[in-house]
Amino acid sequence: MKNTMVKFGSLVALASTLVASDVINIGVQAPITGKYANEGQSIDNGVKLIVDQYNKNGGVLGKKIKVISCDDEGKAQKAAICARKLVNAKVLAVIGSYTSGATEAAQTTYYRSKVLQTSDGTSDSLTKHKYWTFFRNSFQNSAQAEFTANYLVNDRKFKRIALLSDYSSYSTGLTNNVEKAVKALKGNVIYRGKIKSGSQNFTSILTKIKSMNPDVIYYGGYYMDGGLLRAQQVQLGIKCAFVGGDSIDNPDFLKLAGKSSVGTIMINFPTPEFLPYDIAKNYLKDYKAKYGMNVASIWTLMNVDGLRAILYAMEQIKSDDTKKISDYLHTLKDYKGITGPVSFREDGERVNTKFNVYEIQKDLSYKIMN
Amino acid sequence: MEIFLQQFVNGLTVGSLYALVALGYTMVYGVMKLINFAHGDLVVFSAFVGLSIYTSIFGVDATSLVAVVCVFVFTSLIIAFTGVLIERLAYRPLRSAPRLSAVVSALGAGLVIQNSIMLLWGPNMKIFPSELFSQAQWNIGGVVFTFTQLMILALSSVLMVALYIFINKTKVGTAIRAVALDQDAAKLMGINVNQIILIIFVIGSILGAVAGLFLGIYYRGVTFSMGWMYGLNAFIAAIIGGIGSIPGAMLGGLLLGLFNAMISGYISSAWAETFTFTLLIVILIFRPRGILGEVTAEKV
Repeated sequence: MKNTMVKFGSLVALASTLVASDVINIGVQAPITGKYANEGQSIDNGVKLIVDQYNKNGGVLGKKIKVISCDDEGKAQKAAICARKLVNAKVLAVIGSYTSGATEAAQTTYYRSKVLQTSDGTSDSLTKHKYWTFFRNSFQNSAQAEFTANYLVNDRKFKRIALLSDYSSYSTGLTNNVEKAVKALKGNVIYRGKIKSGSQNFTSILTKIKSMNPDVIYYGGYYMDGGLLRAQQVQLGIKCAFVGGDSIDNPDFLKLAGKSSVGTIMINFPTPEFLPYDIAKNYLKDYKAKYGMNVASIWTLMNVDGLRAILYAMEQIKSDDTKKISDYLHTLKDYKGITGPVSFREDGERVNTKFNVYEIQKDLSYKIMN
Repeated sequence: MEIFLQQFVNGLTVGSLYALVALGYTMVYGVMKLINFAHGDLVVFSAFVGLSIYTSIFGVDATSLVAVVCVFVFTSLIIAFTGVLIERLAYRPLRSAPRLSAVVSALGAGLVIQNSIMLLWGPNMKIFPSELFSQAQWNIGGVVFTFTQLMILALSSVLMVALYIFINKTKVGTAIRAVALDQDAAKLMGINVNQIILIIFVIGSILGAVAGLFLGIYYRGVTFSMGWMYGLNAFIAAIIGGIGSIPGAMLGGLLLGLFNAMISGYISSAWAETFTFTLLIVILIFRPRGILGEVTAEKV
């Protein structure tokens, strides 16, 4: 039903572009149904809210903005179909998608059709083609790794670092990058191991790590295994610190580890409610007022910042030529975004990474440590 | 040495869970010559049932002996009933059919249970509350024991000893052994074979139910699809010990748990399964009937 509505919506939009050229079309490619539905719907809602706000103030360059959404279900095949559909609907820019895989599958189509694209995918490979149309509105895994290494080696001065990941490409990639960055800072990695995701019993590998006397165990994987890992670490009486990457930040981690989660450190992008900027607070208030719920996560806001940067660029150069907008965006410095300053490098990579370090308190709440 | 002892404790805990599940495989095989592939999924079903009983009757924060005993008793009853139901619906109609049909039926029954769990509780991981068991732990010379581990070891030893006595010292136990030896001869002696098979399924399911609850309490997170992994490991344990032999299943479970812990601890957890299956092959080459499997004379 939703799907047909989306299709109908894009059809109407397509028809209206043919009659009226005084409209600027913005596409949303997001997983509106499927596994990541709550993230996809939130991105779609978030973009529509910004567009409403612009339209209320007369649109951009004197033209109204129209949103055309396409559901890619987080799948590469659907993403390719969406890309064609949105290009045919003559969009100026596409916001999305949520997953790196769906983003990568659509990238080339947008590039060939000179349509701008901004996505929150964190996979390093998204910017490897250096397409002038692509802008990453979040941060790549290697940026997180560098921040993590700096935190472990310079801020906390850990001398004996044990690194763990699972076998997934995200987790191995992130943890390998952390290892590389720690070594670059002359940190001492005493152990680098892998666990089998879902195998539940990690006591053997933890007992082995215990015998090496680490100061810290870093885990660059997901919350299901991370929660059990932390619980079993505490159970085995391994007193060292436990630091995790962005994917252990989930309410289920606290449930799995229970009281053992106290003292766990999570390194992640700022969560929406912790963003210190007025512009963020106002946006979250407006979102809640319009939709009656909170944004799903920081990823919605990252994507919204991508859209805001594009609209801002159009206003600055007073043009809707995508190449000119792209040229401007590549030199964009510290534009005030909801998620912090937005600046892009010439390969479309967002720079000036902002990460937060959270520590889990006795009442299982988060406390910002940096 | 400390590390070795800690690995030993870890392995023993997991091993006794494998042993409990393996008993279910081995008893059914001993009597019916059928590999009950649905057993692993039944074990996981027990974890979900137990969690639901606990949260619906006692809420998430309750912690009392009454609550724990209730959860174990009610879950065991429900799982025993489910086990009997599987026997009636999936195995009894096929008892005179070729063995392959029964194995396929067992695989099917496993899938039915697995998918029912997914539809009833959803595909996400469900989490056991930490309050269910005391979180106490003791440190003896650098080796850490938790209350949960002690309970697993204690309760599974008690169950295994009780089962051993039941099979070897009681009249029903004698009847079970008689059916295992020769169904037709047992019938002629006036033993109700159907009743014996039901008893086997009840006992096997209750042991599986206890193992399932302990899996949930020990590891905290349960997913609908994890039955296959535990089922396969327990099945291997039953074969290593000698399928059909009750002490064999116990020994096989403990050996497999210890072996896994040592491989994961001293080599790599990624290699644990490779070595487990290699061990299985080596044991089968030298002792095709498993370590404690009975050598039966060829019938001519």
